[in-house]
Amino acid sequence: MANWLESLFAFLFKYRPAVFEKGDFAFGSPTSVIVLLLAGALVGVPAILTYAAVRGKSTRRDRWILGSLRAVAILLLVFCLFRPMLLLSAAVPQRNYVGVLIDDSRSMQIADVDAGDARPQTRGDVVRHLVAGPDSAIRKALADRFLVRYFRFSSGAQRIASADDVTFTGTSTRLGDAIEHARQELEAVPLSGLVVFSDGADNGRTPLGDELLSLRARSVPVFTVGIGRERFDKDVEIRRVEAARTALKGSAIVADVLVRQRGYGGQKVPLVVEDEGRVIASEEIALPGDGDLAPVRVHVALNDPGPRTLTFKIALQQGEQVTQNNVQQALVVVRDRREKILYVEGEPRSEMGFIRRAVASDSNLQLVTLQRTAENTFQRFDVDNGEELAGGFPKTREELFRYRGIVLGSVDASMFTRDQLQMLADFVGVRGGGLLLLGGRHAFGEGGYAGTPLAPAMPVVIGGEAVPDSLTFLADIKPELTPAGAASAATQIAGTEQKSSDRWKTLPAVTSVNFIRGIKPGAVVLVNGVVPTDGRTESAPVPVRRYEQPVLAYQRFGKGLAIALPIQDTRLWQMDASTPVDDPTFVTFWRQLLRWLTSDVPNRISVASASDVAGVRDPIALTAEVADSAFVMRNDARVVAHLTAPSGTTRDLPMEWAVDRDGEYRATFTPEEAGNYEVVAEVDATAAPAGSSARAAADTTRGRRSDATYVRVNAATESSREFVDAEMRASLLQRIARETGGRFYTPANVASLPEDIALSKRGVTVVNQMDLWDMPFIFLMLVGLVCAEWAYRKKRGLV
Amino acid sequence: MKYAARTRWMVLLVGVAVVPGARVDLQAQDRRSMMRYFGDPNEYYTPPAFHGNVKYDGRFTFARIKYRGFAHFTDEGPGWSHDYPRSDGHLMKIMREVTALRPFVQRGDIVGGNIFALDDPELMKYPIAYFSEPGGWSPNDKEVAGFRNYLLKGGFVIFDDFGEMRGFDQGDWLNTVTQMQRVLPGCQMVRLDASHPIFHSFYDIGLDVIGRTYRGIPAYYGIYENNDPKRRLLAILNYNNDIGEYWEFSDEGFDPIALTNEAYKLGVNYLMYALTH
Repeated sequence: MANWLESLFAFLFKYRPAVFEKGDFAFGSPTSVIVLLLAGALVGVPAILTYAAVRGKSTRRDRWILGSLRAVAILLLVFCLFRPMLLLSAAVPQRNYVGVLIDDSRSMQIADVDAGDARPQTRGDVVRHLVAGPDSAIRKALADRFLVRYFRFSSGAQRIASADDVTFTGTSTRLGDAIEHARQELEAVPLSGLVVFSDGADNGRTPLGDELLSLRARSVPVFTVGIGRERFDKDVEIRRVEAARTALKGSAIVADVLVRQRGYGGQKVPLVVEDEGRVIASEEIALPGDGDLAPVRVHVALNDPGPRTLTFKIALQQGEQVTQNNVQQALVVVRDRREKILYVEGEPRSEMGFIRRAVASDSNLQLVTLQRTAENTFQRFDVDNGEELAGGFPKTREELFRYRGIVLGSVDASMFTRDQLQMLADFVGVRGGGLLLLGGRHAFGEGGYAGTPLAPAMPVVIGGEAVPDSLTFLADIKPELTPAGAASAATQIAGTEQKSSDRWKTLPAVTSVNFIRGIKPGAVVLVNGVVPTDGRTESAPVPVRRYEQPVLAYQRFGKGLAIALPIQDTRLWQMDASTPVDDPTFVTFWRQLLRWLTSDVPNRISVASASDVAGVRDPIALTAEVADSAFVMRNDARVVAHLTAPSGTTRDLPMEWAVDRDGEYRATFTPEEAGNYEVVAEVDATAAPAGSSARAAADTTRGRRSDATYVRVNAATESSREFVDAEMRASLLQRIARETGGRFYTPANVASLPEDIALSKRGVTVVNQMDLWDMPFIFLMLVGLVCAEWAYRKKRGLV
Repeated sequence: MKYAARTRWMVLLVGVAVVPGARVDLQAQDRRSMMRYFGDPNEYYTPPAFHGNVKYDGRFTFARIKYRGFAHFTDEGPGWSHDYPRSDGHLMKIMREVTALRPFVQRGDIVGGNIFALDDPELMKYPIAYFSEPGGWSPNDKEVAGFRNYLLKGGFVIFDDFGEMRGFDQGDWLNTVTQMQRVLPGCQMVRLDASHPIFHSFYDIGLDVIGRTYRGIPAYYGIYENNDPKRRLLAILNYNNDIGEYWEFSDEGFDPIALTNEAYKLGVNYLMYALTH
């Protein structure tokens, strides 16, 4: 309710609306009044009947109106005689406690509160003025009625002696934790309520539901006071950056930068990406509409190995209210290792030579190739030693699961045993590897894969029988990038998204000999293929009017990734007459594709942190996964996380098995230093697994270590988190108040807060009788009714 | 090239024509005379057995290079068309029989494979090409540019049937080197020994194979990308050999079976190497 309306209400009805909400209505008249009223009725009824019988000049309508006015006036008097009142439980002064929680985070430094002609006040100043100053009316009123306990909160809550002890330097805001902390600390005392002074810019990672439920169950009302503006006038902010956590050296990743602005709609601003101070990407972006949160994609090439802290910046614009939220960081671990991929090709074909050549000089990709050259004859390329693949395609899971990716070329399903096909499916689903299926005369349905254990892993729907030699289908295919493809790192074949998209439009047509019947539900098409106007569609197994098929599609299958590229000659993208000799498209496409294939493939031991960037003393959750050589998850390992702080000090942290997930181990640590923390998980070699000694001997996980993961820890002054999404979040504060039975205030109407808490019915209370008969409204009604009767008589000439 | 079918004057004429300087003079001085016998030297000869190219469908198809004019003309046409189409068809049949390759062999009247000019954009769809008698090749600038693009983008070419004739190179080598210098300026022909992987890509082949009786001792040369033997092999040159002719007559007993086998082995290895490297 607006302030003026509330004041008017209080003037007419003697009390504020909140009093009526909290109080119970009752009549306080003694019995004698009722007897008196009955006597009055005995006398009055004959008088009224006589009055009604008088005709004179009046009409029937006049009599009805005059009679009604008189009757209402009498009833109003009767109502007053019954002594209407509100019964209200109010806190007994100085017997109850109130917890006052003050947001001590850095967002309270934002100066967005109007202060007349002077420069805007900071939110912190407003809080100080309200509850910390010696002249604060709220502080005094609270102290008069309650025993007040003050807390400050940011990432945690802390009891303070007075409201003066706030610094507004906290690096995060965790409202739920703070409220729960205060409630627990005041659990043993009569508590009338909690008061929260905050901008509501909560950035805790957990929803507030549990805390609110707990407060509601204990009937602790929370009164929230929103500090700051709900909408900035002028601001540009980078809300968040979504980027891959790890990448192979030389990869290009696509970072989704979520940008929001107010007051600069439609302007173009440069977005710069820096790696340790060095600009590695820059793109001019158009700012989204006012208040809209829009993703902007930036391509970042990562050529330096190790943990890279990427800083995404938008230059400060003229007149911005918050200057600290134009920067965000993301940590990407660039791995300089060689990803081993097994490429199986069933027939000699140029495509294989071109693919091998594209990645031959890439030191981060090893394309181990098993080429069938004749019946039961294979050639091996890029193997590590003479034993590798000496027996042909791997026959055991351990042998196959050593690879991180598999490329199946034009190779008949009949070349594999059923067990090997099941192993291939498990390679994706269980081991979490990447499987790339290439088009060709002996691939997909034409290769006899329909109905095999591998078919469910494929992102496309196939059918038909294996075709031994003849050509059963041929289509010219012009690739077209889909919206999903434009956003994917896998299809980035040029420096920027625009250039990449333009290049896809000019790529020459290729051909497909695999009739694709559709896309699996859940699969994503990155590049679609259509038959060009002058193109061919020959010998389709079923009639097709305008044939389309995916050029590049993928689906997650189990823990892994399955990609279909049902095209037999991507080499045309390099060889075509329209392609310049030095055009890198083909090479870039294959390197990106094979990097993507292995990008999220887990190791047997892996460790990850819940967040890549955190603040000092922010708790960080770690998760490790442990599997044996056949990638069966292990729940009986003893796992230790080795932490290396930026200063070089090390610490071992035992990890506990998470009972709800096989092979998963968890731990939490709190960083004390700013910089990059390195985390490596290791299966304790000294701890024997449960079971027989034979099993212990065969246990190959013992002593194995994961790849290092990193967490970027920022000092409080470096963190921009508090300034992101920092507009006062009234909706959240209102929800807290509403769900706990409290009330939401702004500095403009917070004066009634002490009285509202007193009426919260919590703590030690006493019932007050609050008379209503003397409300100005009743007096005005009586006067109004009498005047109305008189005016009517005058108008009708009845006087 | 069927030596028995040649006439002496034609050998002399063709021999003179392949010496680049002499060829230019001849073209300049007696162009009309040549046209009277063979047609326009700036046009492509069409072999009688040629019934068009098969449309590209992705499968391996033998691609023979043609060049303008009538150099090294015999009753089989200019040098580039010698042994066509039987040699091409026979090799493809062998490839299908002994390897896992399923190449184009024949469709109707079209046998063996396709024929392309060096500046034909369609050539780019066929990354392996066969070039017979480069001694008579005199490309224009467009063909030179087309061939350069082909090789640098990933193409591989087999030069065959050139070298000495009865102990005397009448300009085959010089012309081939000269024209290849136009195609890839600075390129070097590197002599390959038996240890090169191309001689072991499918069969293990020694290099003691006897070449055509009218040629000298066979020698094998390679052209590498950027002249770096560690990089991609762009071309192989069968100097003093004519393996295409062995392929051509393999069904007639014209050549000894052992030699024919060796010629097939070379052909199979060349193709397998080019397909996999």
